[in-house]
Amino acid sequence: MRLTKPTLFTNIPVTCEEKDLPGDLFNQLMRDDPSTVNGAEILMLGEMLTLPQNFGNIFLGETFSSYISVHNDSNQVVKDILVKADLQTSSQRLNLSASNAAVAELKPDCCIDDVIHHEVKEIGTHILVCAVSYTTQGGEKMYFRKFFKFQVLKPLDVKTKFYNAESDLNSVTDEVFLEAQIQNITTSPMFMEKVSLEPSIMYNVAELNSVNQAGECVTTFGSRAYLQPMDTRQYLYCLKPKKEFAEKAGIIKGVTVIGKLDIVWKTNLGERGRLQTSQLQRMAPGYGDVRLSLEAIPDTVNLEEPFHITCKITNCSSERTMDLVLEMCNTNSIHWCGISGRQLGKLHPSSSLCLALTLLSSVQGLQSVSGLRLTDTFLKRTYEYDDIAQVCVVSSAIKVES
Amino acid sequence: MESATGANQSMPEESPPTEGRAESITQQVPQEEQGQLLYHEETIDLGGDEFESEENETMSEDSSNFIDKLNEHMMESVLISDSPNNSEDDVADLGCLQDASEPPEGSTDHSMENILAKGAADSLSNRSESDGEETPKDISDMTPDRASLKEDPEQEEVRGVPASEHEGAEDSGPRDEDAPPERPPSELSSRQSSPKDEPVPVCTIFSQAQPAHSQPPLFLRDGFESQMVKSPSFIGTSEAAAKTPPQMVQPSPSLSKFFGDTTNTNSLASDFFDSFTTSTFISVSNPNAGSSVPEKLSSVATPVGQKSLGSADPSYSPGIERSESGVSMASVEIPQSPKPFSQIQTVFAGSEDPFATALSMSEMDRRNDAWLPGDGTRDVLISVATQQYSTVFIDKENLTMPGLKFDNIQGDAVKDLMLRFLGEKAAAKRQVLNANSVEQSFVGLKQLISCKNWRAAVDLCGRLLTAHGQGYGKSGLPTSHTADSLQLWFVRLALLVKLGLFQNAEVEFEPFGNLDQPDLYYEYYPHVYPGRRGSMVPFSMRILHAELQQYLGNPQESLDRLHRVKAVCSKILTNLEQGLAEDGSMSSISPENRRASVQLWRSRLGRVMCSMANCLLLMKDYVLAVDAYRSVIQYHPEQEPQLLSGIGRIFLQIGDIKTAEQYFQDVEKVTQKLDGLQGKIMVLMNRAFLHLGQNNFAEAHKFFTEILKIEPTNAVANNNAAVCLLYLGKLKDSLRQLEAMVQQDPRHYLHESVLFNLTTMYELESSRSVQKKQSLLEAVASKEGDSFNTQCLKLA
Repeated sequence: MRLTKPTLFTNIPVTCEEKDLPGDLFNQLMRDDPSTVNGAEILMLGEMLTLPQNFGNIFLGETFSSYISVHNDSNQVVKDILVKADLQTSSQRLNLSASNAAVAELKPDCCIDDVIHHEVKEIGTHILVCAVSYTTQGGEKMYFRKFFKFQVLKPLDVKTKFYNAESDLNSVTDEVFLEAQIQNITTSPMFMEKVSLEPSIMYNVAELNSVNQAGECVTTFGSRAYLQPMDTRQYLYCLKPKKEFAEKAGIIKGVTVIGKLDIVWKTNLGERGRLQTSQLQRMAPGYGDVRLSLEAIPDTVNLEEPFHITCKITNCSSERTMDLVLEMCNTNSIHWCGISGRQLGKLHPSSSLCLALTLLSSVQGLQSVSGLRLTDTFLKRTYEYDDIAQVCVVSSAIKVES
Repeated sequence: MESATGANQSMPEESPPTEGRAESITQQVPQEEQGQLLYHEETIDLGGDEFESEENETMSEDSSNFIDKLNEHMMESVLISDSPNNSEDDVADLGCLQDASEPPEGSTDHSMENILAKGAADSLSNRSESDGEETPKDISDMTPDRASLKEDPEQEEVRGVPASEHEGAEDSGPRDEDAPPERPPSELSSRQSSPKDEPVPVCTIFSQAQPAHSQPPLFLRDGFESQMVKSPSFIGTSEAAAKTPPQMVQPSPSLSKFFGDTTNTNSLASDFFDSFTTSTFISVSNPNAGSSVPEKLSSVATPVGQKSLGSADPSYSPGIERSESGVSMASVEIPQSPKPFSQIQTVFAGSEDPFATALSMSEMDRRNDAWLPGDGTRDVLISVATQQYSTVFIDKENLTMPGLKFDNIQGDAVKDLMLRFLGEKAAAKRQVLNANSVEQSFVGLKQLISCKNWRAAVDLCGRLLTAHGQGYGKSGLPTSHTADSLQLWFVRLALLVKLGLFQNAEVEFEPFGNLDQPDLYYEYYPHVYPGRRGSMVPFSMRILHAELQQYLGNPQESLDRLHRVKAVCSKILTNLEQGLAEDGSMSSISPENRRASVQLWRSRLGRVMCSMANCLLLMKDYVLAVDAYRSVIQYHPEQEPQLLSGIGRIFLQIGDIKTAEQYFQDVEKVTQKLDGLQGKIMVLMNRAFLHLGQNNFAEAHKFFTEILKIEPTNAVANNNAAVCLLYLGKLKDSLRQLEAMVQQDPRHYLHESVLFNLTTMYELESSRSVQKKQSLLEAVASKEGDSFNTQCLKLA
């Protein structure tokens, strides 16, 4: 028998009042019912534990527990009983028996009991193979097996999304925000005990899932500490490269391992499950050889009024000195002011220059600053910079607070 | 020991190491299937048509995942690897993160990996029936050992065949076959080859008992409810309840013969009972008339007494159409009532003396019956009050015309089971009270209820209602109501709910609408109840009416109805606080009466809140449920520790152990103030539950046992301690504890939850559990009434 956690018995409260026909009868019946709560019989959720009535579902990361009982139904004593419980998965076969020693003898109507536990690590079909061998009184060696099949299902759906923040403009590598959506795809409510990001050695992590309210950390999920079936919850993490790695810009280029999510949940009466995602990876923003970042930009600007932004251009290549030409291409909404195609001069490796640019927008709303082109005259290679930043363009009638 | 090792040796033979995936199981997977697996591997063919429907489902899921990916390509699906114990060094290419638990299989896409695993699994499962669910299946059907276990119980001798040899012989068979996915032939052959194999000690886990709700036809027959043991956390119980076909008790053919066409032919029966109803009042006002009435009725078509007593004549009660009343009764009706009418009449003779009530409408009545009618209903009631001497015509739709929808649900499931398992002789010994064996009155009714013969009690309610003219087939026919008839309806419906016959209750509740029709108010019968105001519908009936829906799978409707009841309760309380009467009228109420009224309505409000909380719990809306339970505390402060413990248990159920602990600590604070046994037990109980939530069964058992030291008869602690013992691997001890408990006080402890645990353990203990279950049945038969839920014996 699979030992899922027992459940609490619920009763159907039916009450009446003193003046009603049955008088106190219904209430008395409820009081006499041992499954009701003494003193608060109307409470549906009783205290009586009931054993699991069916196998239920088992999910990856949960612990499979089972009671194995070998009972002598016959009227003869049998000897040298060996009970073996193996779990067969699609990839391996595990021995779950607590002891592999044979029991000397089993009298009629006696039993050998064992409770096995196994943390389920694979999805799909599992087969519990119970093998029993024994010797009869007549000395005959007997052997039989039983198979019990069950499916292990996936409990959670995890989706991730990375955001590269450009706020930290002094270093080449920036903060990364990880948004993780965790969905409960089981059929029962799930209490998330722990969802944490274990960063790889290159990063420090800050969890952004609670806010400080009057000195107390309050979770952003409110009073709903659990996930209903099919509910999704979104977690946010901020990852900062450690100093020693931040300095070596090259390391964090390209694909990097960010870390993994460690998820611990509990369901009915503390049935526990734990999963980890595989290593989450992210493509570091491809800065290529030349990186353009923003030093200053107003957040709100007036329509058809010029405004200034400051760009920083960094030569990220290892040893090559670049000779750059800046071109500015207008888009539907953004119009650059100034000369396009001007020489920026020589830029040595790992050095940067700041550039003040003027532009105006002809369309209201949130507009994207796009259309900068840098051409390396030596390699004849052009780098395009679109969607560098957004500004909110408002009608000039509205006074923009500076 | 030799045989065991021999068997072990034989296993590797059967399972070539090349098929590491499923060793001894794959041995029986035909080569063809293996080939298909390979084929999958190579081409990533997602078709997989030859597999079962389950496989196809997975496919569609997968494809929908792909669509998901397309739709929100920014979100990338991360495959959960598994427990942290597994090392994961495989840093695969971006976008396709590998399942670390799977052995690395090159750079396969993970979805494909899944399919491979599934494929392999399915090829295994194909051999068993097309079940493929998560339900554990004993797949050993096909294997020879299992075949040998399908012994017939008569043969006691053990006559074994050396196992390894036996297996080898069997295995060769299936392998030769071309082996389509379903292979009943192999089972047959294996069974044929070892038909004489004998019983051996059987390892019983995962009893093969079907989940109770999977047998609807059975319930149709005996009218039993399937959800014997359930908890909000049981998966899908509510859905299952909704899906089960309506459990109805159909009218017996005999009665339908009697009643079937009454509605069409405007037969005499209805009129007979209508007039009988009115004659009740005659008999009340004229005690001497009591015994003579039945004779009069049976001999004379239009009773003389009616005319002589104008005040009670139904012609003055509005809504009752005169045209139907002057017809003679049908003689066939008389055998229907098992006792002389005079006896039944005593039922109605209670407190309904119109003259007495006319003199003074008691304070208590007003307090209890107060209700706020809806606008339409109020208008009707006002017009009735103002036009006392002419009939007010009311649309038939606004009248309550209830009638029995099924004639009897008597019958005794315990006895039926005894007939099946213990024989006629034993069954004959079973004696329970039925509707015939008690006085046909409220007294008899109460007797039936208190000895748990609820089916018989439902039956008796039906008889009494039939006598009132609201019997079978009377639904939709005009009738008049009295406080007692409504009480009878309440008892009948409440018992149906208690029996779990929700569909039946629903059908009979239906004519009552929203319990706000004008003819359910005293004001509607100014001559019968002069001066009396308020609703005849008992407050508990409103609660029942609302709660019923949640058991039928419409918890939202339940909540709506409860909110309506709550609104009226709150309004009445406001009225009382503002110095008005309950119904908002200006009338002087003495301070103590006002206080009593406020108290009554506050407790009613608390009752509604508690029902709401229960309903929310059923809906698994735990946050709101907890809030609702908390608000109940202010109406029932004396139940604070119980309610807090209950909330704690809710959190335990969700898995939020920490919050549960906080609530349990609150309970400890509250109970410290009131010393006493109950508080102590509650604290210990909570601690035990907390340990349970922490997976510490040994510690939980300790606390349950501690309760037993204080109160040895505590059923919950006894049962729970036994459950803990099972989880600690002590089946025999656990059984001993439960058996001792049941034997010690069967009257009290033959509770379905206890019996359910007991039978579950019997099934675990041995494959011969039927005998022990039968002895439980005998115990039940001697102690329990006809309302006993036999499902928990798992004998069916």
